[in-house]
Amino acid sequence: MKPCNLLLLAANSLLWLGVWSGVATMPALAESRPHYGGTLRVAMKEAPQTLDPAAAGVPASISRMIFETLVALDERGRPQPLLATLWQSDLGNQRWRFFIRGGVSFSDGSPLDSVAVAASLHNSNPQWKVSAAADMVMIETESADPDLPAELALERNSIVRRSASGGKLSGTGPFVIAQWDAGKHVSLTANEQYWAGRPFLDSVQLDLGKNDHDQMLSLDLAKADVVEVAPESIHRERAENRMVMTSEPVELMALFFAHDPSSEDETHARNALALSIDTAAVNNVVLQGGGEPSGALLPNWISGYAFVFSAAGYAAAGNTTAESMDRARQERAQAKHVLAWTLGFDASDAVARVIAERVLLNARDAGITLQLISGGSPDLRLVRIPPSSSDPHVVLAELAKVLQLPQPHCENDSTADLYSAEKVLLQSHRVIPLLHLRSAVAQRSNVHDLNPLPDGTWSASNVWLSGEKP
Amino acid sequence: MSLRRRLLALFALTVFVSVAAVTGIVSAMARSAFDRANDQRTAALVAQFRREFARRGDEVSRKIQAVAATSESSRIALAAARPAPDYSVFLDDAQTIAETQQLDFLEFVDDQGTIISSSQWPAKFGYKEPLVTPIPSADPFLKEEETPAGPALGLFAIRTVPAGDRKLCVIGGIHLDKTFLASLELPAGMRVLLYENLDRNNFLPDHLIGAADSTIDPQEFAPLIRQVQQTNVQQSNAQKSVGEAGAVIHGNANSNSGDDADETVNAIPLTGESNQLLGVLLVASSRQIYTELSGQIRSAALLAAAVGLVMAVLLSSWAAARVTRPVEELAHAAREIAGGNWNAQVKSTSRDEIGQLADSFNHMTRDLLDQRDRLVQAERVAAWRELARRLAHELKNPLFPLQLTVENLLRAREQGQQQFDETFQESASTLLAEISHLKTIVGRFSEFSRMPQPQFQAVDLDQLAGVVVKLHKAQLSGVGRPPIEIRLELSAAEPIAADPELLHRALSNLVLNAIEAMPDDGTLTLRTCSSRDSAAIEVSDTGNGLSQEDCARLFTPYYTSKVGGTGLGLAIVQSIVSDHGGRISVNSEPGQGTTFMIELPANRDKLPTNTPKENP
Repeated sequence: MKPCNLLLLAANSLLWLGVWSGVATMPALAESRPHYGGTLRVAMKEAPQTLDPAAAGVPASISRMIFETLVALDERGRPQPLLATLWQSDLGNQRWRFFIRGGVSFSDGSPLDSVAVAASLHNSNPQWKVSAAADMVMIETESADPDLPAELALERNSIVRRSASGGKLSGTGPFVIAQWDAGKHVSLTANEQYWAGRPFLDSVQLDLGKNDHDQMLSLDLAKADVVEVAPESIHRERAENRMVMTSEPVELMALFFAHDPSSEDETHARNALALSIDTAAVNNVVLQGGGEPSGALLPNWISGYAFVFSAAGYAAAGNTTAESMDRARQERAQAKHVLAWTLGFDASDAVARVIAERVLLNARDAGITLQLISGGSPDLRLVRIPPSSSDPHVVLAELAKVLQLPQPHCENDSTADLYSAEKVLLQSHRVIPLLHLRSAVAQRSNVHDLNPLPDGTWSASNVWLSGEKP
Repeated sequence: MSLRRRLLALFALTVFVSVAAVTGIVSAMARSAFDRANDQRTAALVAQFRREFARRGDEVSRKIQAVAATSESSRIALAAARPAPDYSVFLDDAQTIAETQQLDFLEFVDDQGTIISSSQWPAKFGYKEPLVTPIPSADPFLKEEETPAGPALGLFAIRTVPAGDRKLCVIGGIHLDKTFLASLELPAGMRVLLYENLDRNNFLPDHLIGAADSTIDPQEFAPLIRQVQQTNVQQSNAQKSVGEAGAVIHGNANSNSGDDADETVNAIPLTGESNQLLGVLLVASSRQIYTELSGQIRSAALLAAAVGLVMAVLLSSWAAARVTRPVEELAHAAREIAGGNWNAQVKSTSRDEIGQLADSFNHMTRDLLDQRDRLVQAERVAAWRELARRLAHELKNPLFPLQLTVENLLRAREQGQQQFDETFQESASTLLAEISHLKTIVGRFSEFSRMPQPQFQAVDLDQLAGVVVKLHKAQLSGVGRPPIEIRLELSAAEPIAADPELLHRALSNLVLNAIEAMPDDGTLTLRTCSSRDSAAIEVSDTGNGLSQEDCARLFTPYYTSKVGGTGLGLAIVQSIVSDHGGRISVNSEPGQGTTFMIELPANRDKLPTNTPKENP
């Protein structure tokens, strides 16, 4: 063979070798880069009967795929522009103007304008005075509301176009409703006209009303790509090498009294109850570390001062030690006439039952008699309140609203003001915070960029799937 | 009570006593037989329960042993052996394993008594289980377990899993509940209940568990359970083996006792490791069969008694017809004869003793008639002879002087006219006196023979007595003699039918006799009394009294103890009393006075209508 032929052969070989090497490495490189296509399959426990974000019970993770708000909160809880590009306030934060982003349309093709925005906001907040003008929406509240932008980030204030009959909902989100089977299944397809760019996923399939066991089974059988993980299961699922993404401790678990204390004796008894509860044992054993004991209504990552409420001298739940139990007994001894209380809990939640029983045992050790009931009108109830926002003022206001406590009054948005407002709520002796629970999801390895937000929600707008051909 | 009613009562009593005795004996035998059978069934059921209990205990032991042998237990034991064990990961293990092994209770406890995982109360992790310090025996045992729903009674076993120098305790068991009771095979008519003695001092109705509890009234068993609680039977040995329960205590369900109880209940105390009373097994045996049998016996007894009563009535009636009628006829005939109808006869209709008695009675009656006739004739002859003797005696006295006087006159005539003239006047006087005497004798005799029949009128005896006393007041005053005290005890409230003149005469005779019997002084007592059917008069004196001989002959005509007496006074009194249908008697002792008692019938039927009451 001629040398040049040999050289040509060697070069050809080298060339092909490089090509094949490239081909071999291309999938690896391709897998690390987002690409379009694929269907994300999600299993969830909630089973909403409507997708209207103004209704209660619609998971934020679903709502955000279809609808958008004027304002979004970043990971630090700061309002960021979304459908509104700019906002201004006057009259001491009693009147606000929000300038609507242009070039955005609803999934039904109709443009997003101030009229549509005003109509949507008026529907979810009848007490506001909302008016539309050009590309601006003006909102007037009954009193000064410096947190209005953060409130507009709440899912219930999503901008929705409702059909005349109210049956069809259109949003401006990255996905569009393709099929809706109330409480069972919802199919979403990518919004090709999404103003922020088409999402990577072609579609999202959500199976609703699945319990924890079925969700995990679906994940293991590759019938679901993303499933929810209960706080008490985080540790176990990670121990079984599942990919679990957790949020900050966001969901408040607390004991809530139906009425104000009727006497000083009852106040002492409530203090004693708070001191007797071994929240560390509950978190470490029952929840397997899936939460964070807390004596505050707001988690520490939101308020920054939650640890203050766990300090001694303030009657709040904390890690029980012998001293804490002694204090509980002393507090109880000051109450001469205390009747037994009934403690209600969600009978369908096995973990809630165990926690309630633990509270009963701790209370009994302190000399307080509790009786567990799963229905009726108990004296106090073990409640779980999911997060509504990452803005502390909004969260505190929403908590007060859910717990039927007086709305906190903040002069300004300073931390001290917030602390004082929360302290007032706690000193009402109506609520005993126990823990803040983390939200978590487990995902398959082909799911990428599913990053849960600190508030426990997640978004599929940037999710892409590997191993799926477009 | 008549013989017929006595016979009826006797027959009825015989029937009742017989039926009652038979019923009692049969009932006692039936009860005894039922109790024996019930005891046997109960003993069998208790034995079955003990076997089932032992079997269940063995089953629990095997399951716990199996749990202790699992890898999960080993894993937990290894974790517990570490210096700072983290039990959090084992929270749900007990519940999972318990479900797999079909256990109602399961706990993993370290050797310090700290609960690692509990199926019955998951929230109890970290709390102490006192049972394991010290660790009890390997045999199954009863235990009261605390659960969120309250205390529960269970059959437990315990095993240990070694891990180095530490150990893990596995405690598990099954709940003694309806399912356990339902596993017992019960004979018909028996039921078993379990009382969980979770409150040692009180009876809690909600803790009484029955296999089929739709009709249980817990209060029926409250007294028995309280008795068991108070007794709290202890056995000398610890309860090492399940089923070796305490002594059986018998009782009855419902508030009734004895044979009226619906069930016989046997209570078997169930004790725990420390011999504390944890439960009571109640084995109830229905007494329905016995109750039904008793009812049948009672009904049969009542029927037999009713039939017996009817037969007693019929038999007594037949016996009466057969026996008492002839006797009644005899009695009637006897009354007739007593009433004066000596011709009464009894019809003899049979040849038996009653017929013979009737024949004998008739024969006796005829003999009595003959004898009465002969007696009457004899008495008449005797009376004539007595009368002739008396008359001869009375007449002889005046006749002798008459004869002497006539003989004197004849001698005087023979002695001359002068002697005759001297003797004639004296003799004539004597003759006239004796002739007068004879005329008196004849007059009294004639008077006695002409005693009139009583003319009945209503007579007040008290008033009559008063009149008689007044009439003889002069004699009683005692002119020329000491006075006689008069004592009147008159209480004849009811008038009688009598002849007032004749009674006056009779009473006068008695009063005169009494006065003459008290020549010195004394007391004359007149007593009267009356009733609806009769009256009585007593005349008593305190004179010298009479001898027995005098009393016997006192009423004989012409018998007298008085000088110059005619002997007819008391005979007249007797005749008057007899004519009134009465009776007179005398009671006297020498030196103690005399009492004459006249008893008169009321004789109101003899009163003419609208007859006014008259007294002399």
